[in-house]
Amino acid sequence: MNQAATSSIAVRSARWARENLFSSWINTILSIVCIVLIYNVVWGIFSWAILNGVWEAKDRRECFAILGKDENGIPILGACWAGVRVWFNNIMFGRYKDGQWRVILGFLILIIWLIPLWVPGVKRKFLIAAGAIGLYPFLAAYLFLGGERSWFMSFMVPLTIINLVYNTTDWVGDKVFRVSLADTLRWKLVDRIIPEKQHTYALMALFAVLAVIVGYLIRGWGLDHVASVRIGGFFLTLVISGFGITVGLPAGIILALGRRSRLPVIKALTVTFIEVFRSVPLITILFMATAMFPLFMPEGFELNKLTQVIPAVCLFSSCYMAEVVRSGLQAIPKGQYEAASSIGLGYWQSMGLVVMPQALKFMIPNIVGNFIGLFKDTTLVFIVGMFDILAMTRAMSNDVPWRGEFHEPFLLTAVIFFVCCFTMSRYSQRLERKLGGQYK
Amino acid sequence: MDNQPSVSEQEGHVASVVSSEVIISLKKVSKYFGDFQALNGIDLDVHTGERIVICGPSGSGKSTLIRCINRLEEHQEGDIEVTGVKLDENLKNVDKVRSEVGMVFQSFNLFPHLTVLQNCALSPHWVQKMAKSEAEKLAMEYLNRVHIPEQADKYPGQLSGGQQQRVAIARALAMQPKVMLFDEPTSALDPEMIKEVLDTMIELAESGMTMLVVTHEMGFADRVADRIIFMDEGQIVEQNVPQEFFNNPQNERTKLFLSQIL
Repeated sequence: MNQAATSSIAVRSARWARENLFSSWINTILSIVCIVLIYNVVWGIFSWAILNGVWEAKDRRECFAILGKDENGIPILGACWAGVRVWFNNIMFGRYKDGQWRVILGFLILIIWLIPLWVPGVKRKFLIAAGAIGLYPFLAAYLFLGGERSWFMSFMVPLTIINLVYNTTDWVGDKVFRVSLADTLRWKLVDRIIPEKQHTYALMALFAVLAVIVGYLIRGWGLDHVASVRIGGFFLTLVISGFGITVGLPAGIILALGRRSRLPVIKALTVTFIEVFRSVPLITILFMATAMFPLFMPEGFELNKLTQVIPAVCLFSSCYMAEVVRSGLQAIPKGQYEAASSIGLGYWQSMGLVVMPQALKFMIPNIVGNFIGLFKDTTLVFIVGMFDILAMTRAMSNDVPWRGEFHEPFLLTAVIFFVCCFTMSRYSQRLERKLGGQYK
Repeated sequence: MDNQPSVSEQEGHVASVVSSEVIISLKKVSKYFGDFQALNGIDLDVHTGERIVICGPSGSGKSTLIRCINRLEEHQEGDIEVTGVKLDENLKNVDKVRSEVGMVFQSFNLFPHLTVLQNCALSPHWVQKMAKSEAEKLAMEYLNRVHIPEQADKYPGQLSGGQQQRVAIARALAMQPKVMLFDEPTSALDPEMIKEVLDTMIELAESGMTMLVVTHEMGFADRVADRIIFMDEGQIVEQNVPQEFFNNPQNERTKLFLSQIL
């Protein structure tokens, strides 16, 4: 019985190979050529990177010495991972040396915040996402940069933490113990005193009061200041593209609505804005932001590079996003607008409740495509002298002990980019399938 | 035709009580699409509780007429007043009128991303500012009235055309409007589904709702209408009670239309 099953698998794969690879003479030749090619490439990379990889060395010269030469006197090829190991920290964090735990903690918090969006059946996903966009940046900014807290930050940081704790306890409690904190608060406690309509406001007020109290309690506690120029490597890439993505979508929606507006002034302004920034390369915008912008500023007024580059990237991404959103809006039939008006919804309500949710569904592939493009485009910031992941990779190749070592760090960078972009792309496909299935 | 309040006594006719109160009044209303004149000096008074069926050849301006009443189309000349509110550039007035006037479209226009219940609860929750639970209770009541409470949690795409149109009626009713407009509500339906929608509309008529219906369903018109209006080329050509309208049409164009449709 068991043997029959195995043999049938063997038979089936043999049949599959015969049908698909060796169905004719030409196919057979092509298949063999391809198999040999693939074998050579894969084996070549494998033996270079893994079999002959050198993991311990003090510089590149030592790598070569360890690899040695074969019997014909030709140097043996092998990856010198020792250099990448030494530089790995710089490639990831740039010159952010002390307190890297803060960076890691910051991204862990973001992941914890976003997990519920992946979990099916979690309620109020929109509020969770809105919190991540609207509040998280303040917490992250403080974690990454530290320093003296203004009264605003003393309020926002605890507020963000409270929001995260509330969200997380709510959805974990709901999933694991079937007890929703939000529902308990609403129905068991608050509903007795406050009418349902005002629950959201009551909750917001509660958070605000708690934030003030917590902010007061932790007033003596703080993080050391880190200069923003120290932010670099993959960390910088994530910060810039993170801003570009999270600002780009909402700003793009506003711009797209402006472009479709019936008010001529708003329409003209947004059209000009979008067209100007879309027809200029990102490099130019970056140069303008860092080189020309300070010329218009009063003397002594100095912005750091990060705060010049981030708005530039955001501008660029929101203009591109605006066009994506506009195409999505055009896919919504006129009847939907009319139906929304006919039941008395105003402009913003029909946009927010009826049009946008449907349009965003059509747009997911394009939006994520843009995100991926932007993520890769942020490597251009090295041109204005910022040390993002690509610049760090090049810096390693120019470092004296490792001079000329290109393949290894660039392979690492390529793998990192691939993992990020592939994840985004898979997630968008999943989202698309899920939302697409919902309607039918 | 007799514009006085009247109690209809026709056989099989849905009993109606038409009050003398004018709820919609159109005076010399004209509407242009570019050079094309869609409505040409329309005068019309609709009384509370009155059921009016509007018919006419395609392109005669019937849909445009009722779409002007909740300002999905803007008229250029004349005055339209709905429940005493004048329709003009003032958006507050437009919003006010729209919250009093329900509309049912030929192509349903349900919101595909929301469940049936959410479709119906949208306006009570967001426009009338009811609490969500209240709004859903109300929506459920109206889904019961159109006899599809069991579909409440499905998405519109999962329903048949007839069911979708009944949901659309429930969605419009959930605003608790004073007037209901129907823009060819059965034209996009398969024949076997027309009846369920017409039955729902007849029940609505029995409840005393003021209705303006653009339709080619002459059986429905005969049974429900207090007045039938025949339009051609943007004008009201003839209007009468159903019996007179069908048995004794006055205008040549009406006669031609009836001979083609019956």
